[in-house]
Amino acid sequence: MIETDVLVIGAGPAGSSAAKHAAKGGAKVILIDKKSEIGSPKRCAEGISNNGLENLGITPNPKYIAKKIDGCRLVSPSGTDVWLTTEEIELPETGYTLERKVFDKFMAMDAAREGAEIKIKTLAKSLKKEGDSVILTCEHMGESFEIKAKIIIAADGPESHVSRWAGLKNVTKAKNMESGIQFEMCGVEFERENIIEFYFGSCAPGGYAWIFPKDDDIANVGLAVIAEDTDKSAYEHLKEFVANCPATQNAQAVELNVGGDPVGGLVKDLYGDNILVCGDAAGQVNPLTGGGIISGMNGGMYAGQVAARSIEEGDYSSKFLKEYEEIVDKELGKEMHKYLKVKEYALSLPDDELDSIADAFQDMDFEKISTTEIVKNLVKVSPKALLKLGKLI
Amino acid sequence: MIVKDWCSYCGECAGICPKNIIEVKEYSLVFDEKECSRCEICVKACPLNALEME
Ligand SMILES: Cc1cc2nc3c(=O)[nH]c(=O)nc-3n(C[C@H](O)[C@H](O)[C@H](O)COP(=O)(O)OP(=O)(O)OC[C@H]3O[C@@H](n4cnc5c(N)ncnc54)[C@H](O)[C@@H]3O)c2cc1C
Repeated sequence: MIETDVLVIGAGPAGSSAAKHAAKGGAKVILIDKKSEIGSPKRCAEGISNNGLENLGITPNPKYIAKKIDGCRLVSPSGTDVWLTTEEIELPETGYTLERKVFDKFMAMDAAREGAEIKIKTLAKSLKKEGDSVILTCEHMGESFEIKAKIIIAADGPESHVSRWAGLKNVTKAKNMESGIQFEMCGVEFERENIIEFYFGSCAPGGYAWIFPKDDDIANVGLAVIAEDTDKSAYEHLKEFVANCPATQNAQAVELNVGGDPVGGLVKDLYGDNILVCGDAAGQVNPLTGGGIISGMNGGMYAGQVAARSIEEGDYSSKFLKEYEEIVDKELGKEMHKYLKVKEYALSLPDDELDSIADAFQDMDFEKISTTEIVKNLVKVSPKALLKLGKLI
Repeated sequence: MIVKDWCSYCGECAGICPKNIIEVKEYSLVFDEKECSRCEICVKACPLNALEME
């Protein structure tokens, strides 16, 4: 039987980050993924913030940066738009669109260079506890085998089988799982360059639609819906959106991407005896935007670091591993809770209220943007909307 | 469960399955039919309408 200190399941951004930091901390690490090609197919709009990578100690490599982003455009159901770009306002942060198929591979390579052993096309099938270890049954091209580990890190993305096999109570309710769908398109006509666009309202019930540019006329054009909130499939919504949106009417799809995005906040159990959970599997996703690359990699880093310390101490108990939850709550949890509230508010607004808010913000002087200014504007357009916000916060 | 041939194995169905009985291989889905409670949460959530209850 293969034996290791730390076994990471899933080589997405979260798992690769966990493997890298566990290896860096001195542990013997194996990282498995069922895919033939790490990072492919992509299930992502590929947007990240500028300092996200730098805060993780990663210098962005031009090989996986598709485009630099200078701001965003928010579009209400009637088409009224609000621009938040470096032209209008000094933004606290800007960002990039990535080439995830390259990025995810590079992150796994970083883990390998720290000493992690990678097994691709290796599917985790089941889990059992044995003494103070865990035994994972895997399958590789028809062959079944076992890996014995002192600690497993579940980074298996939105599927999140592993933590549930371990008995942790991490169920993603249907109302918290966005159904995401996206075309990568060419022939997209941008009003301004280097701007990511968000479209709100009934075009994407429970979520929003987006256009994230990747090159002069190339973009990820997608949306996410909550299935319970609509009678149409995500795909039908996307086809309608693409046909109606001026930017994409003449565009051609070259790729179709689908995927679930857990947007309900952190899962209940982030750890247990011999196990840590990170990334989408742990709900480490911004509930408002659905963005989970950077937060998942941060979660992965904390998990890898705590796992390495636990190996060093020879203590793999949930008591020792609890430190991970404390770090995650402090570094990610508080922020996520805030975004969850804002999302509840935003989703409670019908199309006409979204329109009147967008109208009011059109005339706003962004030089003077401040919370009081925003609240003043909200009072003007929709006392009802403000009341909702007040109740939530 | 009937899995249509346009399924792209994204795994969303597996993530929300309350019984955790959908295995997502690289190019196939395997349902543990004996354990399935036929709640159809997966059918409803599929972004591509690729699942149909038999
Ligand atoms: C449509 C859409 C758009 C998005 N857009 C953005 C965006 O613009 N910006 C952003 O930051 N985030 C975005 N996200 C979210 C982002 O994609 C995820 O948060 C991120 O990929 C999570 O990383 P992860 O490592 O946790 O999981 P994943 O990237 O899903 O990786 C999990 C890995 O585990 C493997 N795996 C699963 N089960 C097993 C098993 N049993 N055995 C072996 N391997 C297994 C999978 O093959 C996969 O490689 C988007 C999501 C969707 C669906």
